[in-house]
Amino acid sequence: MSKEGKFEPKIIVFACNWCSYAGIDLAGTSRKKYPHNPRIIRVMCSSRVSPEMVFKALRDGADGVLITGCHPGDCHYVTGNYQTMKRFQLMKKMLDELGFGDRVALEWISASEADRFIEVINEFIEKIRKLGPIKFREEVLENP
Amino acid sequence: MSEKEKKEEVRIGVYVCHCGINIAAVVDVKAVAEYAKTLPNVVVAKDYVFMCSAPGQEMIKNDIKEHKLNRVIVAACSPAMHEPTFRAVVEEAGLNPFLFEMANIREHCSWVHPEEKEAATEKAKDIVRRAVAKATYLEPLEKITGKVVKSALVIGGGVAGMRAALDLAERGFDVYLIEKSPTLGGNAARIGYLDFKMRGADLAKYLMDKVSKNPKIHVYTNSELKALEGSVGNFIAKIVKNPRFVTDACTACGECVKVCPVEVPNEYEFGLVNRKAIYLPYDYAYPRIYAIDQAACTKCGKCVEVCKPKAINLDEKAEELEINVGAIVLAAGYKYYEPQEGEFGYKKSKRVITLFQLQRLLAEDGPTRGELVVDGVTPKSIAFISCVGSMGTTPTAATYCSRMCCTSALKDILKIKEKYPDIDIYYIYKDLRTYGRDEDLYWKAIENMVKFLRYEETPNVRVEDGGVVIEVNEVTLQEKIAVPVDLLVLVNGMRPPEDIEVIKSVLKVGSGPDGFIKEAHLKLRPVEALTDGIYLAGTITGPKNIIESVTGGSAAAAKAAALISKDVVEVEPIVSSADEELCSGCGMCVSVCPYDAISIEIKDERRLAKVNELLCKGCGACAATCPSGAMQQRHFTDKQILAEITALAKGVIP
Amino acid sequence: MSKEKVKVAFYWCASCGGCEEAVVDALAFLEDKMLDVLEQLEIVFWPVAIDMKRSDVEALKDGEIVVSFINGAIRLSEQEDMVKLLRRKSKIVIAYGACSYMGGIPSLANLHDREKIFNYIYKEAPTIVNPTGVVPQTEVEVPEGKLELPLFYNTVRALDQVIDVDYYIPGCPPAPETTVNALQALLSGQLPPKGSVIGAGNRALCDECPLNETKPEKIAITEFKRLATSAPEPDKCFLAQGFVCMGPVTREGCGARCIKVNRPCQGCYGPLDNVTDYGARAASYLASILDVPPDSKAIEKALSNLPDPIGKFYMFSLAKSLFKGKVVKK
Repeated sequence: MSKEGKFEPKIIVFACNWCSYAGIDLAGTSRKKYPHNPRIIRVMCSSRVSPEMVFKALRDGADGVLITGCHPGDCHYVTGNYQTMKRFQLMKKMLDELGFGDRVALEWISASEADRFIEVINEFIEKIRKLGPIKFREEVLENP
Repeated sequence: MSEKEKKEEVRIGVYVCHCGINIAAVVDVKAVAEYAKTLPNVVVAKDYVFMCSAPGQEMIKNDIKEHKLNRVIVAACSPAMHEPTFRAVVEEAGLNPFLFEMANIREHCSWVHPEEKEAATEKAKDIVRRAVAKATYLEPLEKITGKVVKSALVIGGGVAGMRAALDLAERGFDVYLIEKSPTLGGNAARIGYLDFKMRGADLAKYLMDKVSKNPKIHVYTNSELKALEGSVGNFIAKIVKNPRFVTDACTACGECVKVCPVEVPNEYEFGLVNRKAIYLPYDYAYPRIYAIDQAACTKCGKCVEVCKPKAINLDEKAEELEINVGAIVLAAGYKYYEPQEGEFGYKKSKRVITLFQLQRLLAEDGPTRGELVVDGVTPKSIAFISCVGSMGTTPTAATYCSRMCCTSALKDILKIKEKYPDIDIYYIYKDLRTYGRDEDLYWKAIENMVKFLRYEETPNVRVEDGGVVIEVNEVTLQEKIAVPVDLLVLVNGMRPPEDIEVIKSVLKVGSGPDGFIKEAHLKLRPVEALTDGIYLAGTITGPKNIIESVTGGSAAAAKAAALISKDVVEVEPIVSSADEELCSGCGMCVSVCPYDAISIEIKDERRLAKVNELLCKGCGACAATCPSGAMQQRHFTDKQILAEITALAKGVIP
Repeated sequence: MSKEKVKVAFYWCASCGGCEEAVVDALAFLEDKMLDVLEQLEIVFWPVAIDMKRSDVEALKDGEIVVSFINGAIRLSEQEDMVKLLRRKSKIVIAYGACSYMGGIPSLANLHDREKIFNYIYKEAPTIVNPTGVVPQTEVEVPEGKLELPLFYNTVRALDQVIDVDYYIPGCPPAPETTVNALQALLSGQLPPKGSVIGAGNRALCDECPLNETKPEKIAITEFKRLATSAPEPDKCFLAQGFVCMGPVTREGCGARCIKVNRPCQGCYGPLDNVTDYGARAASYLASILDVPPDSKAIEKALSNLPDPIGKFYMFSLAKSLFKGKVVKK
């Protein structure tokens, strides 16, 4: 995704049908602009997103993974986003130790928060851009 | 994927929409269609100006037949916009509607990157590739239906429950109304004013009368819900009828009461006086049959000897019955807050009573026939302390406001003033919440020389001979004053009913932190429980007054009626299910389901997770929790989502 | 199978020796049951037990060994050389035990690299006296000539990250039943598709765990407990009490032997077939059964008794995790 040498991070965003996906849609219907990096995967609820999916996304080459869902208390499925919160915290502990913790984030975006999505995605893209492309152990260390 | 599916070749058709200039002005739609042709299993890839138009839809239908397509992708607007449209289109062409996937290249692409045409086109290709990856692993799904039984169960025979039962019966449904105590009527039958002419008892009598005359309402008193099986539209309720020990041969002559040797506090007079072990709750009780309090009765048999109609059977056993209903209305009511012994002098002096007890004293059919006599005298001065058991005034008090007490107390005060204009009355309050039109009560009270004193610090009560002294730090005067009175009335609030934990576990409904049952959503789904098919009416969800309770009863009945008017209950098939071969019955999934839709069943000595498809709402929390991959959410399986991830992150379709 | 004996080989790489004992256990188990499996085998190479040399293996024809059972992870260049040799000389190669299947406990070293490990082991450890700071080299000149040592790789690998592996027998070590089941499958010729785990089951451990039925309807714990500081109640599911048990995410086949001696499962049989990353799956169910208010401080507190999730979840499988180890910054 590089253009004139500038590193364009590959960002995967998990968005829940009722809140964040709708919020991202709203950014579109309102013709707001944001960088082209994010690629959205739709799920019904952020609680469908497992740590395994996040790990796979990073392993497959995503430079950053953003999980989005409804604000706590507003989940369409009542407690779904609480599961997401708990799993995210444990998963982040693991990724921090492995060296990838900065490449994942969890943000709450409601169906009306198009502006918030744009703020979040801009910040996330810049944060990942500074981290550079994702590199794994075998790429950093002499092998084997 | 089943063996058959694996062998069947996947044939994908991709349709890239211009959406007029909305997409085409930014994204090179022809290039995207060309790109789609290069993807595995894509046999047709076209672009067209408006895919949702009639010719666009026809194109898809023709191609399905001509090219034997078994997956269709439309790259266009958001699925929120047209997923239902195109699902219907493919279904018309004979293809299962869940073999369709949308690629959002408008809201998520052309509309937000209008100046980056190249990058937007590349992004559109990525999005199409993601859709192709998912579609490759999609499976056909059939809609899930359940039968609907056209009858309802109402739990609780108070004003909210009776109102719900009547509304349902009026719509032609059979209603089973169960009540824990020996009579209908609930709390309102003994207390409360609706206006100055109509008491709670009058409303209760009116409803009890209508209920008793309605052939569609089957009343079971002394009865409780013991267990509940099934789900929305088809519940099996196991009811236990506790023995009354008196049959309907009873003529309510009252001879048994005269000979009964046992006395216990009368809960229908809030403990002001006693009753016997055999008793009629009150004169207008329904059914008008005596009952024996099993816990108090010594089985001495004296009542049997004097009962002329031979209506007493001391050997009666509890009976169990099963009822099949489509909807349930829970209207189990509340319990009043019982002050602790010593709280504001309660039980330390005969001159300290609760609001509920006061209302019985003022009632014409009460223990004093409506004469305000306490401890042998008519008090010359009365003080009320508000917010007893509410507003965090004492360590055992709830933090919430019990909503109805100020209004209720002020109505009583005005009634007292009507009969006894010379009694000095003090209303010592933390907050005064005679809300809405009842604001008038405050001004009427002022006109009647009721003195209002405000506290922030909880007042102290000193018990003395012939009365109490209330020491209050009055907020307006900024002074500590002592108020000596002959009678102290504690304005006590509402609590969840005694058996709230049993109710919660049998019905599998949850409560909020204050103990009352939680609605699915306060604004969007106010009288619904989280469990589909169960509706909530009255004070079971929190303190409210009689009018609000009755309104809730009607609302719950309307919702229940909407459900049982249907012939079938239909749910979207994007539900979860556990592969029986892989499931180890570890139970992790059960913990995360917000709807209690998963249970562990024993099959051939193995524990297996079983999802009730009618209750599952398709969030996928269980699938993400499952440590072995046995639990999958249809249409959002691990295989499908991981394929999307690899398609986007690695750029290839696995 | 023909009357001719089946030629088998056993080799150990970065290993504790437990798998060799497990083989002996399994053979003893078979003898107890009067099964004449041992009669059918001709062991052509087994360094721990028989005095055969590498040259004996080199002398065999390619494919002459019917089955090679290789245990231990690949830590050194010598091990890589040996397993590549055995691969050439064998029809079937089996990764025997957790280390060769998944990297095993040795692969926890992938949280470091050679430099860090050597620095600690040979220089910084409290009891080391190494004034000149010597660390192992691959070659060194001595008056008598050149001495060679194998290269100590930066990254520990599982067997199939070095050679093509036909089947896996899981366990640390594999239980006798597991080895016997696998052997019987091999000798009967009725094998699952290449690349399968054999000898064990296809469901999680909870399926054969005697405590599975003691679980309450909904498991909800307010915090994790550690064996070091809390005593589990007997005959009750560990997880339901708050002790981290890897049972739900681990393949069955060991007979739940750890649970039967009052110890939660540690996960040595590895993941089930549909799982892509064992540790990620573990994180999901363990976090999901926590019953805590949805705020980060409360969640952090509940997780505080799980201070080393990487070490705990990937205890036997770090080499096979999606990330294979930590990104050690240079």
